[in-house]
Amino acid sequence: MSDSIKEDKTIDLKGLPCPMPVVKVNKGIKQVDVGQVLKAIASDPGALTDFPAWAKTSGNEILKTDQEGDDIIFYIKRLK
Amino acid sequence: MDSVYYFILVPMVYVAFFIFIAGNILQIVKVIQRKRFAPPLKIYPEQKPSFLWAIYDAFLFPMVRRSNPILWFFLIGFHVCVFLLFLGHLELIGDFSVLQIIGHEIFIGRGFVGLGILIALLFFLFRRFASPVRQFSVPEDYLILMLLLLTAIFGSQMDWARTWYGYGELTVYEYRPYILSLISLSPDIGPVMDVGHSFMLVLHVFFANLLLMFFPFSKLVHSIFAVPLNMIRRGK
Amino acid sequence: MDPKLHQEMLKAISDKLTGVMQMYLDTCSRCGICASACHVYASVPEFENTPVYRAESIRKIYKKYFKLQGKLLPMIGEAVDIDDNTADMLKKTAYSCTGCRRCMVYCPFGIDTQQIMSIAKLLLIKAESEPEILSMLADVSISKGDSLDSVKENFLKGLKKIEADVVEKWKLEAGKVAIPTEVENADILYVALAGAHSIVPAAAIFNAAGENWTLSFFEAVNFGAFVGDPSKTKLILDRIINEAIRLKVKEVCICECGTAYRVMAQLSGDKPFKVSSITQVHARYIREGRIKLKPLPADVSVTYHDPCQIARNGGVIDEPRYIIGQIAKDYREMSPDPKTNWCCGGGGGLVALGDETIDFRMKSSKVKADQVKKSRAKILITACENCHTQLDNLNEHYKLGVEVKFLSSMVADALIK
Repeated sequence: MSDSIKEDKTIDLKGLPCPMPVVKVNKGIKQVDVGQVLKAIASDPGALTDFPAWAKTSGNEILKTDQEGDDIIFYIKRLK
Repeated sequence: MDSVYYFILVPMVYVAFFIFIAGNILQIVKVIQRKRFAPPLKIYPEQKPSFLWAIYDAFLFPMVRRSNPILWFFLIGFHVCVFLLFLGHLELIGDFSVLQIIGHEIFIGRGFVGLGILIALLFFLFRRFASPVRQFSVPEDYLILMLLLLTAIFGSQMDWARTWYGYGELTVYEYRPYILSLISLSPDIGPVMDVGHSFMLVLHVFFANLLLMFFPFSKLVHSIFAVPLNMIRRGK
Repeated sequence: MDPKLHQEMLKAISDKLTGVMQMYLDTCSRCGICASACHVYASVPEFENTPVYRAESIRKIYKKYFKLQGKLLPMIGEAVDIDDNTADMLKKTAYSCTGCRRCMVYCPFGIDTQQIMSIAKLLLIKAESEPEILSMLADVSISKGDSLDSVKENFLKGLKKIEADVVEKWKLEAGKVAIPTEVENADILYVALAGAHSIVPAAAIFNAAGENWTLSFFEAVNFGAFVGDPSKTKLILDRIINEAIRLKVKEVCICECGTAYRVMAQLSGDKPFKVSSITQVHARYIREGRIKLKPLPADVSVTYHDPCQIARNGGVIDEPRYIIGQIAKDYREMSPDPKTNWCCGGGGGLVALGDETIDFRMKSSKVKADQVKKSRAKILITACENCHTQLDNLNEHYKLGVEVKFLSSMVADALIK
C-alpha cells in the first residue's frame, strides 16, 4: 500500500465511545461515491477491531490503518 | 311467546354453559400445549413466598391502587360484587350453611350488591369515553360492559322489586325449582312463568347466556390467566 | 402484499407464540393503567405512546390469524390483516418502546410489553424494515466471532494503547500483566465493551483485588437483542459462551451494559459457569476486603439511576447501593423505589440509533430529567452504557447540571492501598 492515499472526505470520530464510530462511519461511507476514499479518525481503541469487522460485513475495503499518538486513522474505500 | 321464553330459559342456558366450560378448557389446553418460554420473566426485587405475593397481586392489584386509587376502588368494588353475586346465585340452588354463617336473607345484600355493580360498570363505561382509554378501546370492551350492564340491570330489578317494593310473586322459592330442574336435566319453567315479572328473568338469563358464550373468546379470560401471569411476574 | 412474505411473517408470530405469550395477548382488558407507567406517555401524553396501544398493534394481528374471535367476528376486536402498512405501523410501536418493563410492574396481570414488542421487532426484520444500523452492528459483532484470529491481532494492538492508563490507576507488581487475555482456568472472564472506558477502570479494580482474571476478545453488548433477532442474538452470545468454555473459566462477569447482562444472565438458559454483573463483583470485593475505597468529601451528593435491565429486570439492586454507601456520605435515592424507577429513555436500541432518535429520546424522557432534578444530587451514577449515554444527552438537553458517571469508574477512582 502506498503512502500517498488521497482521501475524498474526512470524518472525525474522536472521543466517541463504541459503537458510535462504526455507526458514523457507516453513514459517512455513503457520502462518498463508489471508488472514493473516506478518511476516518477515531480515538477509541475498540475501533481497531470494529472497523475491519464492519468493512467485511458492509463490503468495503480498509486500505490502510495509521496510528498517530492517540488517533487511529482509517482509509476506507467505498466498494459498493 | 312461550316458545321464545322456553328457548332462552332452557336450551340456550344449556348451550351457554357448554360453550362457557368447553371454551375455557380449550383456552387453557391451548396455553399448555404451546411451546414453553423457558427464561424467567420476573420483576425484581423478589419477595418470598412468591406464590402468596402473586395471589396478593392478582386479587388486590396493589400497583393499581398506587397509580389510580379511584379506578382501584371501583375495580375492587366490582369484583367483590361479582363474588357476592356468585354466592347469591349459589343460594338459589340450595341452602349452604357455610354461606349462612353470617345469617342473611337470600338473595344476599338486599339488592345493594346489584346497585354497586351497576355503579361500577357505569364508571368503567364512562371512563372509556375519556382519552387516552377511548383511543385504545375496541368494540369488545363496550360489548362486554353492555352485556354486563344489561344482565345486572335485569337481575337486580328482580331483587329490587322483591326487597324494596315488596313484590312477592317471584321469589327465591320460584327460582329454586326452575334451576334445580335445569341441573337435574328435567327442565321445567313452570314455576317462573305466568307471573307478571317473568320477562325480567328471561331478559336477565338471555344476556347472561350471551355473556357466558362470549366469555372464553374475550378478554374475560383474564379471570383464568390473572393468577398464572402474576406468578410468572413474581417468579414462581 | 407478497404472499411469501405474508407467510413468513405469520410463521414469525407463531414461532413467538408461547403459552405465556398467548396469555399476554388474550388477557389484556385495556384498562389503561400502563399508560401513565410509561415514561413516553408520562412525558408526551398521546395515546400512541401507551404500552397498551403498542401491544394492541400486535394483538390485533394475533386475533386475526390465531384467535377464534378474530376469525369469526373481526370487528369486535378490530382484528387487522398483515399488509403493506403493517411494517410502518410496527416501526412506530416497536421503536417507541425501550423494553424497560415499568408498565409490567403496574399492569394488574403483569403483561410484559417488551415480550409482545419482540414479535413486532421480528416482523420488522422479516419485512426488512428494521433499523438498518442495529442489524449492521449485530453483523459486525457476529463477523468478529467468525474471524477470531484477525480480531485478536488488532484487539491486542488496541489493548497496548490503554495499558498505561490501567497502571496509572493501579500500580502492578513487577511481572504482572495489566490486561490479561486468554488465561485458561481463570476465575473470571470479563466481557467488556469495545471501548477503553469499559476496560480501564475494570482492569484496575481486578488487579487491585488480585483477581485471576482474563479479558474477553468480544464486546458484551448484544445488538441482536436490540434489533430483536433471535438467531443473531444467539450467535453473538455464543461467541462469549464458547470463549468461556474454551478457557474453562469459573465465572463470566458482564460489564456495565444492561442488555448484555440480562441476555447472558437470564435469557439464555443454563451455562457451565456463573454469570455476574461487574457491580456484583465489585460489591463482593468490598465485602471480602479485597479492595479498599476512599470516600468522597462529605458534601458531594450522589444519586443512582437503576438500569432497567440490571435492576428491575436483572435483580442487581442492593449491590450498587452497598458500593455507593462505601464511597459517598450523601446518597439520595432517586425514585420511591428501584422497581418503579423511570427508564432513562434510551433502551431497546434507541441510543445505538444515535442522532436518528435523539429528538424522540429527549422528548420522551422528560420525566426522567425531572426525577434527576428532584434528587438535587451533584453526581448521577449509573451502571449501563446505554443509560450513561442517554443520561449525558439528557443532562445537556435539560441543563440538569449533574455529572454523569459510571459506577465502576467511581470505584476505580476511589481505590486505595
